[in-house]
Amino acid sequence: MKKVRDCMNREVISVQRSTSLKSILEKFKNFHRFPLVPVVSQENKLLGVVSLDNLIQIFQPSHYKLLKAIPFLDYREEIFDVELPSEIGSLIVAEDIMNRNFITVNEEEEISKAYKLMKLHKLEFLPVVDKEGKLVGMIGIFDIIRNLFADQGII
Amino acid sequence: MNTPLSLSLILLSGFIASRWIAKFKLPSVTAYILLGIIIGPYVLHLVADPIIKSSEFISNLVLGLIAFSIGQNFSRSNFRKVGKSVLWISVLEAGFAWIVVTITFWLLLRLPFYLALTFGGLSAATDPIATLMVTREYKSRGVFTDTLLGIVAIDDAWCLIIIAISLALAKAIAIHAEQAFFIIKVMMKSLIEVFGSLIFGGIIAWISFKFSKYLRSQSELLIYTLGFILFTIGLAIPLHLSVLLSCMALGTVLINLHRENTKFFDTVRAIDPPLYIIFFVTAGANFDPSYLGKLGILGIAYIIFRIAGKSLGAYLGGIISRAPSNVRKYIGLALAPQAGVALAGALLAKSSLSEYGGLIFSTIIATTIVYELTGPIITKHALKLAGELPPQE
Repeated sequence: MKKVRDCMNREVISVQRSTSLKSILEKFKNFHRFPLVPVVSQENKLLGVVSLDNLIQIFQPSHYKLLKAIPFLDYREEIFDVELPSEIGSLIVAEDIMNRNFITVNEEEEISKAYKLMKLHKLEFLPVVDKEGKLVGMIGIFDIIRNLFADQGII
Repeated sequence: MNTPLSLSLILLSGFIASRWIAKFKLPSVTAYILLGIIIGPYVLHLVADPIIKSSEFISNLVLGLIAFSIGQNFSRSNFRKVGKSVLWISVLEAGFAWIVVTITFWLLLRLPFYLALTFGGLSAATDPIATLMVTREYKSRGVFTDTLLGIVAIDDAWCLIIIAISLALAKAIAIHAEQAFFIIKVMMKSLIEVFGSLIFGGIIAWISFKFSKYLRSQSELLIYTLGFILFTIGLAIPLHLSVLLSCMALGTVLINLHRENTKFFDTVRAIDPPLYIIFFVTAGANFDPSYLGKLGILGIAYIIFRIAGKSLGAYLGGIISRAPSNVRKYIGLALAPQAGVALAGALLAKSSLSEYGGLIFSTIIATTIVYELTGPIITKHALKLAGELPPQE
């Protein structure tokens, strides 16, 4: 079976931990959807990922993540009612909002392993890392499915 | 009414009641408890008896789920995130509510020590949801609000520990009263229960983590997680360990074993809301109005001394952690709301201390209703005193 390395996308848009919220929003303004954005160190080591959820959390009170552990919290935030101070565009940086509990797949793994991980964690994309934890690419469900079509000679 | 119809009544009327009470800016828990009292056996008697009787199964399951979920609060990254003030204040406000209520109930109201201890333990709990609602409703912002939300998020975990220790001691005292070597026996028994539960939960967490590599899908993950939570609850009961502590240790050890383990908590979140509604409504249905007469002084003392203990503890915690003066002075007051965890603990007390179980349970139900109706107003007042409410337009 093919390895993750053979199907992944090597051209990844990543950000540094000091990248501001404003420039993240600018960077992806022409996208139809907000992708999973890897946050890397200067040595290209993967430190975290920023997802759409992390952006929505900016509208939620601090410690909201902690509060998520509380049972029977059925209280939903009304994101339209929240007033955010304008300066947070430059005050909040990728490191503040990134998720450190992220799932990765190693480039040497088979694509079925990547597929399984996506199913188990309800994800559509996974950052691909090498042995040293450096970011080397991204793989999405579509990359895997496309590859299956290619194997069957359909494309 | 048969069982499926009763369950459907609980879920659907619970849904309507929680929407209705939201209009008055009150937390849903209040609606569920009041609904339970109304449709329960003492008022309308609409709920089938098997459901009321089987509420022990539901409450054990829900207790396990609550404790498991709260266990994830004790992750290394959370401890790094919350900061010194939140840690100190949360430990001391919970601890002092425990001590102050226990001592006043024991020495002032002359209750047996183990009963006073149980009330003390239950008084440590707060209500994160009501508190969060108030801060959002009035758009409060600042150090006080941040500290408050941090405290209510993390203190349920301390409360579970306090409740479990109190119940372990209370049970041991009730059993061994007037025996030789009384204190040694009580201490030994309680220590075994507390530490045994923590070790037991930890071992199960390790086993469940080791085998989780064979999981393939979301549905398998849910089945697997529920299976292990039930396994923990089911074994803790015959081993005479604490269900609360065992499940909490299961959650805490799991979250600290691997960063990917948040998946276990996310998956049970998908199924727990209906269980919680059934839990709260049946809790309300178990409220026995015949205790109302005895509640007067006990209830009032509980309400006053709980807040007094919390204020004192929060003040000390604020001094130790050098929190700003508005945090020190008013945060105890802002912690007034009380809900789920106290109720869960009261249900446990009801089943483990049969003699006074009904009294404890009814007191906690009644004070929870009082606290949930008045607590948000008190919290708002505390936010105002702390100067974190935006100026009125």
